[in-house]
Parts: sequence; C-alpha cells; structure tokens
Amino acid sequence: MQSSNFAKAGLMALFLSVIALASWEFFLRKTDLPISYDDNEALWADKRAMVYEPINQATVFIGSSRIRYDLDIPTWQNMTGDHAIQLGNDGSNPRLVLDDLAKDEKFKGKLIIDVTEGLFFGDFAPLDGHTLKEIEYFHHRTPTQRFSFEVNHVLESKFLFLDQDNYSFNAMVDHIPVPTRPTVFQMPLFPVEFDGDHFTRQAFMTPRFLQDTNLQNQVKAIWAFFGSLPHPPPPSGDKLQAIFNSVKTNVDKIRDRGGKVIFVRTPSSGPAWMGESHGFPRAEYWDKLLSFTGCKGIYFLDFPAISNFQCPEWSHLSPDQAVIYTNNLVKILQEHAEWPMGNKLSKL
Amino acid sequence: MLFNSYTFIVFFVIVLILHNLPFSWKTKKINLLIASYIFYAAWNPPFILLLWLSTVVDYFVGKALYTQENKHKKKLLLVISLIGNLGMLCFFKYGGFLLENFTHLVNLLGVNYHPAKPNIILPAGISFYTFTTLCYTIDMYRKESKPVQSILDFSLFVTFFPHLVAGPIVRPPQLVPQFLTPRKANSQQMVQGLFLLSLGLFMKVFLADGMLAGPANTVFGSHTALQTTDAWMGVLAFSGQIFFDFAGYSSCAIGAALCLGFVLPQNFLFPYAAVGFTDFWRRWHITLSSWLRDYLYIPLGGNRLGKYRTYLNLMITMLLGGLWHGANWTFVVWGALHGFYLCVEKAFRDIKKRSPGKPMFVTGESHLVKASFAPSLHKAPEGSFPPESNHPKTVSNFILALGTFFLVNVTWVFFRSANFGQAWSMLHSMFVSNSGGTPVLTYLEIAKVSLIIFVLVIAHWLMRNTMVLPVANKMPWWLLGIVWSVMLVLIALSQNSGGAFIYFQF
Repeated sequence: MQSSNFAKAGLMALFLSVIALASWEFFLRKTDLPISYDDNEALWADKRAMVYEPINQATVFIGSSRIRYDLDIPTWQNMTGDHAIQLGNDGSNPRLVLDDLAKDEKFKGKLIIDVTEGLFFGDFAPLDGHTLKEIEYFHHRTPTQRFSFEVNHVLESKFLFLDQDNYSFNAMVDHIPVPTRPTVFQMPLFPVEFDGDHFTRQAFMTPRFLQDTNLQNQVKAIWAFFGSLPHPPPPSGDKLQAIFNSVKTNVDKIRDRGGKVIFVRTPSSGPAWMGESHGFPRAEYWDKLLSFTGCKGIYFLDFPAISNFQCPEWSHLSPDQAVIYTNNLVKILQEHAEWPMGNKLSKL
Repeated sequence: MLFNSYTFIVFFVIVLILHNLPFSWKTKKINLLIASYIFYAAWNPPFILLLWLSTVVDYFVGKALYTQENKHKKKLLLVISLIGNLGMLCFFKYGGFLLENFTHLVNLLGVNYHPAKPNIILPAGISFYTFTTLCYTIDMYRKESKPVQSILDFSLFVTFFPHLVAGPIVRPPQLVPQFLTPRKANSQQMVQGLFLLSLGLFMKVFLADGMLAGPANTVFGSHTALQTTDAWMGVLAFSGQIFFDFAGYSSCAIGAALCLGFVLPQNFLFPYAAVGFTDFWRRWHITLSSWLRDYLYIPLGGNRLGKYRTYLNLMITMLLGGLWHGANWTFVVWGALHGFYLCVEKAFRDIKKRSPGKPMFVTGESHLVKASFAPSLHKAPEGSFPPESNHPKTVSNFILALGTFFLVNVTWVFFRSANFGQAWSMLHSMFVSNSGGTPVLTYLEIAKVSLIIFVLVIAHWLMRNTMVLPVANKMPWWLLGIVWSVMLVLIALSQNSGGAFIYFQF
C-alpha cells in the first residue's frame, strides 16, 4: 500500500467512526433518556474531596442508594444554603465511609447518615467492594486522574453514549438474553430507565420509568430476588454490640473534632418495608443505635409529612417525591433535631 | 500518565504540536524532555527525584567508565553504578519482600523478631528505567558504544516518555543516535503511528480490560475449588489479558514514538504461535529477553562453558527474570518453570542432534532488538521475518505451538496467583476432575473468553512470520479503514479508560 493509501484508510476510519458514533448518539437521544454521569470512583472521589468545606457551609450525606434517590440536592441547597455533598453508595454499607471520615482528622463537618438496616447492620453488602475501591481511589488519586476526570466531565455532559453503566459495549452485551448457568450467581440487570445520575451524585428515575409499571415491576422483581437469596440472620448479641461500638467510636471521633452527626431512616414501602421492619425490628436496631451513640435520628414514620410515600418500586422515591421529602426533611431537622443549617436558612 | 486516559490525549496533542513548530532541534529536545518529566510526574511527582538521580549519576559514571584506563578504578566505578541502580531497585521493589523472608527465617531459628511492615510505594517503571540505565553503564565499561556527549541527550534517552514506564527497554545505540539529528515524522510515519496507537488502545481498553479482565479476576478472586471449565477459562482469560495489556502498551509506545519521528524496538511478535520456548522468548517481551541474554546469560558464560553450565546459566537467568517481574516467590517459580522448559527443550535438541534452530540466547542475535513495527525504517525482505524461523506453518508445528501455549498457560497460574495455595488450588481444579467444584463464570463470560482466545491463537499462527504494519500495508485501503474504524468505535464504547497496565507494577 502506498503512503497516500494508508492516509486514505486513516481518513476513512475517522469518517466512519464519527458517523457511527454520531448515529448511535442520535439514536439514543431519540429515546428521550437524559444525560447520566458514570457513578464511578472518580466522581465519588471528587465529592469526597469536598468534605473539608466549613461546617456552616456544607453537609455530607452517607448511606446507600436511598439517600441518593431521596435527597433532592437543589431543594436542599436552595432551602439551607448548605452545599450537599453526596457520598452515599448503592448496595453498600455506609459504615465503611463513616470509618473513612472518622479517621480523617481534617473532617470536622456535618454528617447525615442514612440507615437501610439490611445494609447498615449486615456483614457484607453486595457492593461494599465498590465502596472500598472508591475510598482507596480517593486517597491515591494522581494528578493525571484528576485531569482526566475534568475532561471526562465535559464529555459526559455532552454525550449520552458515554454512559458506561448502560451504553458501554459490555453493558449492552450483558443485556443479551443468555440463559443463566446453574448455580452461578448473576447480578440482575436493572432497566436503563431506573437509574440516572446527576453530576452531584443524586440518583433519579427517568420519566419513562415512572410511566411504565412494567419497568417498575422489573425492579420489584429484582428486590424480591434479592430477598429470596439465603441471608445470614440479622446480627444480635455480641455481634450487634460490636457494630454499635464501632459506630459510636467513629461518631465520637467526628463529634470530638467539632463535627455534627445525625441518623436518618429514609422511606420504603410495600414488601420492602415489611421485610425490613420484620427482619430488623426498630426497637432492637434503630432505637438502640440512637441511644447507644447518643445521636438524634429522623425516622420517616415519626413524621406525618414524610411517612406516607408509596415508592414506585418499594424502595426509592421518585424525583417529585424527593423534592417533597427533602423539603420536609429540612424543616424536621431544624425543628425537631436542632440541626445547624447553612446561613440561608438561619436568616429565614 | 496512562496511554488510555484523556490526560494523555491532551498531553500528546500538545507535544505533537510543539514538536512540529519551527523551533531549533535543541529546543524540541528540551520540550520532549520536559514533556517526559510531566508524563512521569503526573503519576506521583516526588518520584521524579529518583529519575533525576539515576540519570545524573549514570551520565557521569558512564563517561568516567569509558575514559578510565585503570582497571581497578574502572571496576570500582562499575560497582558504584550497579549498587546505585540495583540498590534503589532492591529498596523500593524488594525491600518488603527481603524483610518478610528474613523475618520468616529468623522466626524459624527461634528468634522472636516481628518488625513493622514497611510502607514502601513502588515508583512506576523503576524496573524498566533501571535496566535502561544499567545497560548504558555496562556498555561503557565494556566500551561497546561511545558515551553520550550531552546530558540532554542522555536524559532524553532515559526519560523519553513512550518507553519510560513499561518499555520497550531500549539500548543507547537504538535511541541516542536518533537524538543527534532533527527528526519529525513524515506523513506515513504519522499515520502508521496513529494506527499503532489505535491498535494498542484497542488491545488494552477493549480486549484486556473490557473483555478478559472480568473473567480472569472472578476466577483468580475465587476462594473455593473451581470446576475444571472455570479454572481453564480463568487461566486462558488471564493469558489473553496479559498479552493484550502488555503488547497493547508496547504498541502504543512504539506508535507514539513513531508519530514524533522516532523508532523504538519491537517487543512482541505473536508469542502464542511460538513453537517451543526458545521461540516463545524470541516473541514475548523481546527487549527484556535480549537484555537478560546480553547482560546476564552471556556474562555468566552462556553456552560456552559446557552443557551442564549452560543449563545452570539458563536457570539462573530465568529465575532472576522471574524475580524481576515481582517481589514474590510465585514469580520466581514462574521463571523457574520457563527455565525448566528451556532446559528440557535444549536437552531434546542435544539428544536428537538435529536441532536446526538456535538456542534462546545466542550472542549476536541482533534482529530481536532491531525489529520494528516500522517497515519504512527497517525493511526486511518480503517474508523473511523472523529470519531465524525454522518452523514452517505445518500442521505438526501448529500442534507443537498449541502444546507450547498449553504449557505457557500453566506458568501463568503462578504469575497471576497471589500465593502458592491459590496456585495449587487452581492447578488442581485444572487437571483433576472436580465435579464438586464451584462454577463461577456465566455462559456469556465463557463464550467471550473462548471466542477471543480462539481468534487470538489463530491470528498469531497466521501472522507468525510477519508484522502488523506489513499486513496492514497489504490490505486494501478501504478494508483497513473499516478495521481501523471498528477498533476506534469499540474503544469509544468500552468506556473504561484509566485502568492501569499490568506491567506498571513491575
């Protein structure tokens, strides 16, 4: 091949690639799905680095997926003037992040801990490995990783096809209906419409998900599948006490440095709520957690304004519900928990 | 900095622009040197001091070695260089390993000694740039090449960003002369360099990280006895992963250098089509195997001191080659297995007395380090590469190649396992019928691994006597354009930039 022919091949490759990716992007945009950011270790680390903001200007949230869906960050920030730093992680035990923050002498801020009992008191939540990876990543971020993250942010804000969880080659191949190999655990695949992520790490259900009960039922079936898996019994006795001890130790470390900590039990409904309340009776877990740590807590059933949500798939709030929940959570925190708020709310 | 990162794309565009502006050659070299330091510092800035120290010491020691006539002083200078380079490598790479083994030893002798675990971070690429600088000082000691005249050229030789972190391991005569006269890629080199960059990223991002890392990690991360199918699929997945990862890196390095007008040595030549282990080490990590040949095997005596000493030298070389890869006894066993295979192969050849092929380490086999992806700069006669190949593409040789691939896979078990317990457990699952073993891979993962490894082995066999660019050159331009675009689209759709290359840890 002559040099010019090689150059022609290069130009053709560039042309075809651009056409193929542009067509794919155009097709995805026709589906009306919104831009979604990859909720990966780089995004988590970006938020983790913000926890050192002054105590009167920011609040850090840790927990599992519920706090990511249920906390509407624009509402929170508009009402309080506080910067909401979302460090919750799907399917993961928030005690891992609590431990990391407690060890960090520089963290002296406000911390709200979302408690989903099965994850908070469990031995090993399914995605704990992901959280540990994120913590490790944050502490060893290199300058080049930071720069790549900034470039990626710009690109992800423009292109839908850069959604790794849903439109990467592997994600699409994983959706091929291949029979499950007997006895091999295969993580169920959530519908694409269920899980979008803002750059703030607030998760959201798409409008299509909220309109389509079939999609909602798919997610309910996934929760039922997880519920049907053999679980170790909920911790009790010394094991439970060890958990309380570790939480109290970490909470005390933060409070000793001038930080503030409060627990929140976000809403669930239907079989999810029934299973959780049956497996982890409030008096044995939530109430003891508060009394042992000496922290205040907001349990959704105690406050009529946030006690009657019917979650679309039993476990998380829709975006509209999240606005209502957050609005009321701010008021409850101030009125019933004397939670210090940012300057904006203090002036109201 | 990783080739598979957005940072590198921005960095490389800036470097290319600067390199093509009408600056003086010296200014361009200074630009490349600064860029190389930025490339390295983007990972962990403080470790750049080590790089500077190594560069400055070896530049001056190298000059002194070349001019010093007093034999004792000359040896002293060499020892200083060896201690400086290997001492740094030992401290950072083997410090923890040595302390751990020392602790085990004294505990066995009844001494209650439990030191705190050292928290030493391994500087990226230290094994590679240590070997690069070592070969310079040894060459100066032997007067095999002339000292580099300017510290700028020497610094650029050591630090040149395409090869700095994970090779190819370059020798002074391969790169330093290229710094003497102005170089800029012509249009053909530029396009071919971009093609190699695309190919390397495709191998790393799509095949190694996207397709094979998952199944390999699942299998090697399993703590139970596995079904035979799963164990084999995991090993095959790792076999493909490490090839695509490292050959992908080498391809990116060669491509990036070519875009700037420089030629780096070839590092891989379709190794899974190797017929025997002599052939394998001519095709896998070529610049390391030739380095070990010239700076370890031959100084030990090579094959000049009799049959048994040759076996011993082969074993020593491969054991140290194994240890070079990592501070763990599993790497030593990996090297020992390769040494054993080489010895057995040599023994067979000696017995049959009809060995047309050459042993692995033969003085003067320069084709290994001269070979390049770039046909325009190193034109080999059509179909003549590799020149020493005596293995025509026959069915029997294909079966032998499959046998070699099978044995290579056994060695990968030790390379990938965290400890011997896991390695034995894997081997047991692979070779002993294990109906009670746990299946861990999905049908989809098994299908992915099977398909990719099948295509990989066949492609290596079909291309074993050629190189990538000549094959690309022979293709119709429209077909090459389609293949290239498929690679680009799959890289874009893989979406997993930022995964570190496996060989960074070495």
